[in-house]
Amino acid sequence: MLRIREGGLWTTVQDMGRQGYYHLGLPPSGAADKYSFIIGNLLLGNPVECAGLEMTLLGPVIEFGKKTSIALTGASVQAFINNRPLPMWEVVAVDEGDVLSFRFCKKGVKSYLCVSGGIQVPEVLGSRSTYVLSRLGGHEGRKLGVGDELMIGEPLPGAFKQIGKRVPVEFIPEWNDAKNLRVVMGISGNRISDEGIKTFLDSEWIVSAESDRVAYRYMGSSISFEEHAPPFGAGSSSSNVVDFAYPIGALMVPNEGEVIVLLNDATSGGGFVTIGTVISPDLDLIAQSRPMTRCRFLTITVDQAIQARMERKKQLMRLDEILKEQG
Amino acid sequence: MFTLPETRFDFGGDEYIYAEISRDMSAESNFKALAIVNELRERNIPGIVDIVPSNASYLVRYNPEILSPRDLLDYLKEIDITKSDPAQLNLSIRMVEIPTWYDDPISRQYSERFKNRHQEPGLSNFEFAMKANGFTDKEAFIEAHSRMPNLITMVGFLPGTAWGFPLGLAPGEIIQTPKYLSPRTHTPRQGVGIGGAFTVVYPVNGTGSYQLIGMSAVPVYDADKRLIDLEDAYFLARPGDLWKHRPIDEQEYNRIVAEVEQGTYRYHMKQIDFSPQEYVMKGKAYIQELMEGF
Repeated sequence: MLRIREGGLWTTVQDMGRQGYYHLGLPPSGAADKYSFIIGNLLLGNPVECAGLEMTLLGPVIEFGKKTSIALTGASVQAFINNRPLPMWEVVAVDEGDVLSFRFCKKGVKSYLCVSGGIQVPEVLGSRSTYVLSRLGGHEGRKLGVGDELMIGEPLPGAFKQIGKRVPVEFIPEWNDAKNLRVVMGISGNRISDEGIKTFLDSEWIVSAESDRVAYRYMGSSISFEEHAPPFGAGSSSSNVVDFAYPIGALMVPNEGEVIVLLNDATSGGGFVTIGTVISPDLDLIAQSRPMTRCRFLTITVDQAIQARMERKKQLMRLDEILKEQG
Repeated sequence: MFTLPETRFDFGGDEYIYAEISRDMSAESNFKALAIVNELRERNIPGIVDIVPSNASYLVRYNPEILSPRDLLDYLKEIDITKSDPAQLNLSIRMVEIPTWYDDPISRQYSERFKNRHQEPGLSNFEFAMKANGFTDKEAFIEAHSRMPNLITMVGFLPGTAWGFPLGLAPGEIIQTPKYLSPRTHTPRQGVGIGGAFTVVYPVNGTGSYQLIGMSAVPVYDADKRLIDLEDAYFLARPGDLWKHRPIDEQEYNRIVAEVEQGTYRYHMKQIDFSPQEYVMKGKAYIQELMEGF
């Protein structure tokens, strides 16, 4: 069991996400930075579906109710077991009564705590991920607070043999300030003027403070719309289309001065002009970017998007092999 | 019979294909979306993760490690051409009554609170919707909004939010309003809003940009599963259902809200076999037939 002594800023139970309910408006949820989350489970020898904790900027204070093994990945943060520094990207043993605490995270936004056997909150609609807006999944559908108690799995067979396994440095992401985000253009981009598309791709965009697991907002440039009579039923603004289901990663242009990228807790549909979709591997980078981070959007084809996705998958498979060979 | 333009397809990143049936909203476009979605669901294709019908389009999420995007696109195009005839559709749906207190104090209070984001800050959302549609009489507006049922053409935004598009009306008879200039940060749970030609009932407190014209006495999302009719589903909304707003007064609103709180409320519902073909042929008369005795 994990006893939560302090909740931290925004700590939720997440896994790989919920599928098959988007037609009801239920977004996938799940870890915002899948790459870091998956590595946490790979380190422990867990199935990747095992649930862990997603922590935001300031982590919780947790007392362990039993001996197990853990791994801390994601945004770079100083953490302590009792008063002993806890290394990141490495499997560490903890004893019953040990207390894990965190300092404010230095780079990136989301850190992940995985435990052997996973966090055992009940599955809701096929996933343990928390979706706070509908109070669904995770621990009572909400972020963790003082006094919460979370069941954890029994350490898996061989769990303690994993201790000391470590991610080689070349697999550890650097949370650089400037980011390139890859986009497959399309959806209703034809409602943006040619000049607007050019400005969108040529400009540097800056993450605004109103960004979270639902959506990231970017400011810093201006995109002009095509002059069009609004479609029937859409409302009368030039940024309105007939409401439709947004892909996760959709890049919406609600007005000329703002673009919004939808993330895992997205509002699943709406009526804003959508210029394209950020590819899934790059959603991890968005989730780890702080307000004021600078970024550019690069256009790629769907074939390049699949290639980028497969490259990341191969990288994770290579890491898995390396970890299996260690110790 | 059904005359629709060719569907336009687009890739959405590495996991989605978006299909736009028409740029403008029409019931026919939505029937076509439902026909295709039903066909796709029946085929149960490994690698397809989510199938989402929406107002005049549909969205497919797939795992590109199982399905090649280009093969799936060709496959969808074929279904779009060969299996999309709404005339073949027979939908088993429900007509559900939404008791609605129009021009209520909560909607007025939210209009006031967010007036700095509104095109006409001096008017309540209800007054704005009346004006935008040329009404001066409140009762006539309520009658115009509530007389015909809305087809649930899409579910989403926040889980359980259903877009309703009125059936049996000529495009010129459909009440339409612009959305807020900038979305409200708060919207009351069970608020009834109009945006474009669509009516929604907000399932939870959250953001929103539709004009608030009333309050539904009944929930459309039941997180605690207190109501017997929502026991299996959490959500009231199902694509293809018909929702009929019934105007109620404050007294009845309070009575129904109390029943919901006690968990004794039962939705007024009727099972219907709905034929899009008959609807397109007979229009309003067909809907009136379905509404008999409801």
